Amino acid sequence: MIAPNHILATFDEALSSLRNSVLMMSSLTERSLDRAITGLLQRDDELCAIAIADDEEIDQLEKQVDKDGIDLLLRFQPVASDLRRVVSAMKLSSNLERMADQGTNIARRARKLNQHPALPEAELIKPMYTHAMAMFKDAIDAYVREDVQLARAVVPRDQALDDMNSAAGRRLIDRMAEDPGQLRGYLNLIFVSRCLERVGDHATNMAEDAVYAAAAEDIRHQHSAYAESK
Amino acid sequence: MVTVLDMPETTSPITLNQPAPAPEPEVERGMIEIDRLGFAYGNHQVLHDVSLSIPARAVTAFIGPSGCGKTTLLRCLNRMNDLIDSARITGGAIRIEGVDINAPSVDVVDLRRRVGMVFQKSNPFPKSIYDNVAYGLRIAGVTKRALIDEAVERSLRSAALWDEVKDRLHVSGYGLSGGQQQRLCIARALAVEPEIVLMDEPCSALDPIATAKVEELIRQLKQQYTIVIVTHNMQQAGRCSDHTAFFYLGRLIEFDLTTKIFSNPGQRQTEEYITGRFG
Repeated sequence: MIAPNHILATFDEALSSLRNSVLMMSSLTERSLDRAITGLLQRDDELCAIAIADDEEIDQLEKQVDKDGIDLLLRFQPVASDLRRVVSAMKLSSNLERMADQGTNIARRARKLNQHPALPEAELIKPMYTHAMAMFKDAIDAYVREDVQLARAVVPRDQALDDMNSAAGRRLIDRMAEDPGQLRGYLNLIFVSRCLERVGDHATNMAEDAVYAAAAEDIRHQHSAYAESK
Repeated sequence: MVTVLDMPETTSPITLNQPAPAPEPEVERGMIEIDRLGFAYGNHQVLHDVSLSIPARAVTAFIGPSGCGKTTLLRCLNRMNDLIDSARITGGAIRIEGVDINAPSVDVVDLRRRVGMVFQKSNPFPKSIYDNVAYGLRIAGVTKRALIDEAVERSLRSAALWDEVKDRLHVSGYGLSGGQQQRLCIARALAVEPEIVLMDEPCSALDPIATAKVEELIRQLKQQYTIVIVTHNMQQAGRCSDHTAFFYLGRLIEFDLTTKIFSNPGQRQTEEYITGRFG
C-alpha cells in the first residue's frame, strides 16, 4: 500500500531519497555478483577486477544510507510505518553491503581459478547462482512493492540453496580425493559455493525486513525457535 | 502523611455518598469506565458514543487533531464542563470505581478533589508557594499547621519541586519559572490526595528542559495515581503514556497500548494522523 503524502514534503523527499539509495545499492550489488559469476564461468579476469572495484561504490552508499537514515530519525522522529520504512532501509543496506562483499569474494576466488585449467565442476555453481539471485530479486521486489506474501515466500527457499551448497561441497570433496592435483581449485569452488549460500542468507534477511516494513511483523528466527522447542 | 481521614469535617463530607466500600483489588482502584458517552455544547454534538476503560495507576494519553473532543472528554472526567451553561451529556455514563459521577447524589466538590486537574497554562494563585499548595487543604477545612506543613512538603517533593523552593516557601508563586509554576500547580493538585490527575497539555508552554522534568514527574506519579493526559505532542505521548486513545471528530478511533499505537496502529486514520499524513 502506498501511503498518502506526508504534510511535510521534506519528509517524503528524505524518505524517497533513502529508498532510492537502497535501490541503487541493490542494482550495483546485483551487477557486481553478475560480473563475478560471469568472470568465474567465462574465465574473464577483467570482469572479476571490475566486480572487485564495484565494492567501493557500494560501501560508500551503505555509509550514505546510514547517514541519511540517522538524519531522518533525528529531524522527523518518524513513527509507525514511517519508522519501519527507515529502519528497514538501513537494515537492507547493511545486508546489501555484505552481499556485495560475497561478490568480491567470488571474484577473487575466480581470479585464482582462472590461473589454472578449467574445472568442469564449476558448472555446479550455475544453479546455485540462479537460485540465490532469484531469491535476491524477489526480496527486493517485495520490499519495493511492500508485498508481504512475496517476501514471506522467499524465506523457505533458502533451504534449497543450503541443500545445493551441501551437495556441491560433498561432490567437490570427493573430487579432491580423486584428483588431488586440483585440490586448490576445488577448494576455491567450495568457497564460491559458500559465498552463494551466504547471498541466500542475506536475501532471506532482506525478505524478513520487507515483511517487518510492510506488516510490522518480526518473522526472524522462527525456524530456530521451533527447532529448539522440539 | 496526611490523609483525608485526618481532616476535620468542617465542610461537606468528602465522600461520593456511598457506603464505605470493601477494600477492592489494587488494580481496580482509580479505574475510569466511560460507557457510550455522548456530549454536546447546545446543539453541537462534540462526543459520539465514546466507550473507554482507563486503567488505574498508569498514564493514558488522549491524542487527536484540534476539535476532536479530547479536552472535552478530559473535562467530563471531573465535571468541569458543568461550569458551561450549554454543555450537556446526551447519553451514556462515566463511572469511577463503579460510581456514576453524574449521578445526583455525587458531590462535585469531592469529585474534583478525587480527580485533580492541571491545565495547559500554569495558573498559580497570587499567593506564596506555600499558600498555593495549602489552598486545597484549607478549603477542605484542614486547620492544623503541622498537618498542612507536612502536606505542603510532601506535595512539593512529589512534584519534584521541593529542593528548588524549600528556602523560599513564602515568596510569591509568580516568582517561579514557567516550568516551576507548572510543577507548583501539580503539587497543588496532589496536596488534596487525588486518585486521578488530569493533565490538559501540561507542557505546551514549557521549554524542553522543563518539559522533561514534568514528563519524568508524570512517570514517577503513575506509581500512585491514575493519570490522563491530553497532548498534541506525539513524541510526548510516546514517551510518557502506557495507553493511548486517538480521537477524531468526536469519536474514539482507537485505544491500545502506546507501543502498539506508535509502532503498528490498527486503524488507517490513526496511522495517517501519527505519521503526519492527516487531511
